[in-house]
Amino acid sequence: MTQILLICIVGALLELDTTYAFQFTLSRGIIAGPLLSLITGDLMTGLQIGIFTELIFIDISPLGGLLPPSGAVCCTLTLALCSVGLPPYFAFFFGVIGAVLFSVCEVLVRKSRSGWLMRQEPLILQRPPYLSFVVVKALGISFIMTLAYLLFYSAVMGSSLARLLPFIPEKLHLASKFAYMAVPWIGLATLVSTFRLKTR
Amino acid sequence: MTHWLQWQLFWRSFFLQTGWNFAKYQNLGLAFVMTPFLKTVYKQKKDLPSVLERYLEGFNTQPMMASFCFGALARQEERMAKAKTLAEYRERLSEWNSLKRSLSITTASLGDRLFWGTLKPFTLLLALFIWLALNINFFEPVPQQTLAPMEVFGACIVAFLAFNAVALFVKWKGISLGYDAPNNGCFGLTQFDWNKTIYNTKLFGMLLAMGLLLGGLYYFLHDLELFLGLKFITRAIIVLFFVSISLMTRDLRIPNMYLYMAAMLIFNIVYLF
Repeated sequence: MTQILLICIVGALLELDTTYAFQFTLSRGIIAGPLLSLITGDLMTGLQIGIFTELIFIDISPLGGLLPPSGAVCCTLTLALCSVGLPPYFAFFFGVIGAVLFSVCEVLVRKSRSGWLMRQEPLILQRPPYLSFVVVKALGISFIMTLAYLLFYSAVMGSSLARLLPFIPEKLHLASKFAYMAVPWIGLATLVSTFRLKTR
Repeated sequence: MTHWLQWQLFWRSFFLQTGWNFAKYQNLGLAFVMTPFLKTVYKQKKDLPSVLERYLEGFNTQPMMASFCFGALARQEERMAKAKTLAEYRERLSEWNSLKRSLSITTASLGDRLFWGTLKPFTLLLALFIWLALNINFFEPVPQQTLAPMEVFGACIVAFLAFNAVALFVKWKGISLGYDAPNNGCFGLTQFDWNKTIYNTKLFGMLLAMGLLLGGLYYFLHDLELFLGLKFITRAIIVLFFVSISLMTRDLRIPNMYLYMAAMLIFNIVYLF
């Protein structure tokens, strides 16, 4: 439980890097995965999940207001599920779903933030130094909401999947392994077309 | 602009997207970034709220390229503060508004192509190449290798540094270029040949991507005990099938994650029945 809590806290901090602060790309899969695996102690699994996460989401960029699923969230949830005993090929599938659901929640959060900021604007104009406080507050709220989502998803999915795991037939393990094995090839083929030359 | 002021804008630019919202996008961040500069231009406290109100209007661009907007807006703000008549002020205010709108669109378009469309996948390729060269087999469904932290983090550091060297350079330089550029200099944007940079990186990236695909294929299949045995054929079919599907679905704009989810669903149904 402590390990999951730690993974979620570090994951929520890394997630801030996706949009709200810095954008040093610490939240991208190939960095977040290995970083989070320092907590679990299994560097190879963390690295693989990081690479797979990056490859699976490489074709969706944050253009305009588009919100791609977060690499940091996917790695966090996958590694949290792995730490309750789920094999990586199952955990990754639920990690991807968790990241997609997170981007849906994020849209709602951003919509509600518009209203909140409208209410803060008169206060900022009355007292300009209050602006820094609003920035810190916005960061804090984002961190807490992400952490709450990560903990909730890990706890609900982790406990239910851990209970279901002994009843999953061997055939489904094999099928999921095959689908998981396809991820790097789907991603590598996408990379070739990502660099397709269109204009000079 | 002094170095200290440029540093303050640069440091604050890391929080441009804090408070991103669908109504006014990066408005909070823009006001936060520009505040130190506005304080130097408008020394009297009573002036600041009305100026901040303008910065709290809608603004949206690519975060790394936004520095060009900061520089150009700062220069225009200075011109506005120095206006001698109301008519002159209004004219400069209208210029400020159109500058903010047009420059944010231009920098967003360039930045998205350069950073998200080219540099991010390119640095991913670099890292993957390093891991493959270090004999790290990330293709296996149940990884069994034990790795030293340096093996793992070496490539991470290379990807991190390669991306951030360009991003931080553009962020820092963009402020001074946008501020110092002459009127016909497109606010410093013409200092770099963006299209050529993107074209060359993409060309190199394409070669690397094809090399990685072939290298990965070799790595994935070469050590199987029985060449043309069942295990070899199964793996080869998976690779060929998914590479072709992925290449074919590019034009249909079907995201990778849906391909993976479909594969998961279909394989499970086939195996169950």
